Amino acid sequence: MPSDKQPLLEGHTVSKYFGGLAAVNNVDFAVYPGEIVGLIGPNGSGKTTLFDCLSRLQKIDSGKILFRGRDVTRARPYQIARMGLTRTFQSVRVYRKMSVLSNMLISHQWRDTSLLRMLQPSPANTARRAHELLEFLQIERLAGEQAGHLSGGQRRLLEIGMALMPDPDILLLDEATSGVNPTLIETIKDRIRALNEQGKTFLLIEHNINFIADLCSRVYVLNHGEKLAEGTPAEILQNEAVIDAYFGA
Amino acid sequence: MGAQGEQTETKIEGKEENGASSAEPAREPHRSRLRQRLTRPFGSWTGLTLWLLLLLLLAAYPYTGVSSLALLVGSQIFVLVTLASNWNLIGGLTGYVDFGHAVFFGIGAYVMGILVTRTPLLISPEWGFWQALPVSGVAAAIFALLIGLPTLRLKGPYFSIAMLGTFMAMREIARVLRPITGGGIGLNLPPILNRLGDYYLMLAVMGLVVALIWWIRRSEFGQSLIAIREDEVGAEMRGINTTLHKIVAFMIAAFFTGIVGGFWAWQNTFIDPDVVFIETRTVEMVMMSMLGGLGTVWGPPLGAVVIYFLQDLVWANLFGVHLLALGLLLVVMVLFLPEGILGTLGDRSSTSLGRLLGRVGKGS
Repeated sequence: MPSDKQPLLEGHTVSKYFGGLAAVNNVDFAVYPGEIVGLIGPNGSGKTTLFDCLSRLQKIDSGKILFRGRDVTRARPYQIARMGLTRTFQSVRVYRKMSVLSNMLISHQWRDTSLLRMLQPSPANTARRAHELLEFLQIERLAGEQAGHLSGGQRRLLEIGMALMPDPDILLLDEATSGVNPTLIETIKDRIRALNEQGKTFLLIEHNINFIADLCSRVYVLNHGEKLAEGTPAEILQNEAVIDAYFGA
Repeated sequence: MGAQGEQTETKIEGKEENGASSAEPAREPHRSRLRQRLTRPFGSWTGLTLWLLLLLLLAAYPYTGVSSLALLVGSQIFVLVTLASNWNLIGGLTGYVDFGHAVFFGIGAYVMGILVTRTPLLISPEWGFWQALPVSGVAAAIFALLIGLPTLRLKGPYFSIAMLGTFMAMREIARVLRPITGGGIGLNLPPILNRLGDYYLMLAVMGLVVALIWWIRRSEFGQSLIAIREDEVGAEMRGINTTLHKIVAFMIAAFFTGIVGGFWAWQNTFIDPDVVFIETRTVEMVMMSMLGGLGTVWGPPLGAVVIYFLQDLVWANLFGVHLLALGLLLVVMVLFLPEGILGTLGDRSSTSLGRLLGRVGKGS
């Protein structure tokens, strides 16, 4: 674990309750710049809730979240997005009645967007970046298509593209491979690796263990909202408690 | 037409392919020219140019020696177009279906009434029309800010119902606050008749509002409103300050509705709670926008014109059952033309009528 560097994103004793149910319970974790970190666990173990807490979609009940060393526990979602944290969703969120290109354009970096600029159509450099990213994700030919007409896998790629538009430091991908065919999974894996080489940090929720094992340097395992284990993929796959949680005792 | 039909078929198949899919067919973008034009992200200037030309023609119209009745009809249509376009900004573009939008009309009307009336009230500065008109708009916008902060947090039907409640509450407040509003007996405004002036004023307001919607629709601000309509959580998570954008859109829509309300009060020379806070005015705004095409720039104006003449027709021929006829029209519209006239032209597969036309086209 690269403990000499300051973590990019860290959580201290993060807890989130739904009524009496502790969806996330006292979870500590840290993601360092340049890492690809996996987050696994059985269904209902609190992975997506933790993601929602990190991206500020859900308010946490106790604990603290730091992004780039700044306390963002009370930030609004758009603020943390502007700071450089973007995400995708388990059930894809794209603007269905907008074209693929418009979906990309409107997801630009809003940090320094002036009022004057907001009153204009998207500028040429935003459009250029959108086209480049669509090409990078191999969906450029769909640029004019309505997002609602895309297939599930294509929408996942589009959503990753939208998350990349503002040039974030860290991307949180929630089940980026679910419902995607094997060839496309390889594409996504490939793209994540390429982006990581360019310096992007990733936090991935996955059920696809091979995907995690191929990409991640470290993995956190959640079970019943609590951190069950952490370590390299190899360590995790050997871990008795993890095997129990996943395959039942 | 044959090619149209085939396209439609492909799109219907495409619709079923939702969520997970195992195959990734190389899908070619298949769109009609018209649809391409309507869904293009950067609207061209053609629309605005044509609009300005139309405004010029309408400005020349009184010089053809028309009756004062024709001028009245003209200004009434301009009022409807303005209202529909305004409602479309919040209801169509932003997707917050406002069932109480006439509240801003009422506030504009009352502010005008109170400011210009010669009846002594608690506040009656006896202003002139031009002083009072901007205040009507500003008052409506401020009210939109105050009421929007809590209500725009609500989603879907809850927002609609909250606004309907606001609307009805304001009507009762206008009735109860007799020292300020004149209460149930209403307010008389100075009767100054100027049909030509009214015509040009409303032409200008309409021209401005529609051009503004056109401008907003192609700007990043407008695109962000559509993004909020399509997926508000997604928009917020991608850096859009959704609260701010919604409030601004709501305030713009309220401002011009307030202006129209103020104008209407002046033109009508009499207001009371029941004539300005009237449900059918909201229903009209919704119907006109829907009939033309929600979220499009030209749909609501088109819908407003169509509805005006339909109402005229219904009133002339079916008086007594005209409300029933309009209600039926609303139901038929929602069932067969949910995307409105322009929406259906743009994407036929989205409505049953459009699909039917597509199929007929294919058969021929």
